[in-house]
Amino acid sequence: MNRSLARLFTAAALSLCLAPAAFAQDDDDTVLKPAEPDFTIASLGTNMRLPQNKMTFRLTHRFEGPLNDNGIGDLFGLDAGAQMGLEFRYGVITGGQVGFYRTNDKTIELFGQYSLLRQGSLPLDLSARVGVEGTNNFQDSYSPSVGLVISHRFGDAAALYVEPTWVNNTNTLPKELVDDNDSINLGIGARIRIRPTVYVIGEVTPRVSGFKPNSNQATFGIEKRAGGHMFQLNISNGFATMPASLARGAFTTDNWYLGFNLARKFY
Amino acid sequence: MRRSRQLFLALTLAFGAAACDEKLSSIAGPTPDLEPTFSSIQANIFELTDSAGRNACTSCHTNVGRNPAGGLNLLHDAAYDQLINVSAIQVPALKRVTPGDPQASYVVHKVEGRAGIVGTRMPRNGPPYMTDGQILILKRWIELGAPRN
Ligand code: HEC
Repeated sequence: MNRSLARLFTAAALSLCLAPAAFAQDDDDTVLKPAEPDFTIASLGTNMRLPQNKMTFRLTHRFEGPLNDNGIGDLFGLDAGAQMGLEFRYGVITGGQVGFYRTNDKTIELFGQYSLLRQGSLPLDLSARVGVEGTNNFQDSYSPSVGLVISHRFGDAAALYVEPTWVNNTNTLPKELVDDNDSINLGIGARIRIRPTVYVIGEVTPRVSGFKPNSNQATFGIEKRAGGHMFQLNISNGFATMPASLARGAFTTDNWYLGFNLARKFY
Repeated sequence: MRRSRQLFLALTLAFGAAACDEKLSSIAGPTPDLEPTFSSIQANIFELTDSAGRNACTSCHTNVGRNPAGGLNLLHDAAYDQLINVSAIQVPALKRVTPGDPQASYVVHKVEGRAGIVGTRMPRNGPPYMTDGQILILKRWIELGAPRN
């Protein structure tokens, strides 16, 4: 285990010990904080808390034809296939959610997130997130991840995110054949509220150490909130929507793809 | 409340701790025991006709009879010294094996059947040739410095 990894673990472990502090405050999780209206930015998560026993649903869709390739000829990539994902989250305890997410390349991620600190007396929201991705319908290759979601809300106007995440088994070859089989992603994202229910988002996921092929994935988008719905139109240089696929990077920096996310809160 | 929180944390941590990896045998194909070590490559590639029918290199590359095929003896007492840092006869600018550098190792060019080789792709009587996975494992041994292990 290398040094930065050890530090990440220590940070995660420490913040878990601090967990009871989170229970001192009890703002109502069902009340929307306008700066953080959704559980994800585009691929990265947020610190939004899912009320206990409530659920949400999300659809991700990335067109596989590059925007810039054939232009209007194939309607900016819409004629090519798409990578789609369906996600379901459930609030198991106050501040703790678990989720299931599957993309149509048959990768499934099971994850849990727990809110450790809330912005108030401290300037930060913080949660710990763990997940395991499994390919071939969770049967073949597994990539566990452990990360922190650190964010700051600027009133009702914007939110900024930093998300260090360690992901294991990012290289799809056996460990005997590779130098690095772990990656540390440093997700960075922002959401800015430009109208009462309209936001622009951006995120980029540099890999700071370990296995880091290809280029870092970046996504930009615009979104509209309508009650419990969120509709996001985005462009990105890759299709990664989970920690290990983000660690494997986007194929190129030259091609940009159109996509959208649709989310629905059932509360 | 407290109990369920602990349970939740324990479950999620157990999840994250379940580190996993692909098995080497999953890519080693017809030589499931193949590892990126010299002794394993010697036994599974050089001296074994594998279950896919790929010929042992030593069905030709020996010291038996006339000169060894290609001037290369791959029997186990000779193979290491015949390969490491020895200039290839066909393309003398390249070593048969350049420790640490599979791309500059002629034996890799020969088993992959690259464009610049003299003669034919190895094994000479293929197909079957070495599988992609077997070649990856051979390259990894070279990349690791081609030790005599
Ligand atoms: C059927 C016989 C035969 C088999 C089996 C065979 N070779 Fe060869 N090999 C030859 C002959 C003949 C030559 C020289 C002519 C040529 O390259 O086509 C040669 C040349 C070579 C050379 C070039 C040597 C130099 O210094 O120029 C290499 C390297 C080589 N073989 C590696 C292998 C490896 C590795 C295998 C096993 C995977 C293998 N060969 C299997 C017959 C064989």
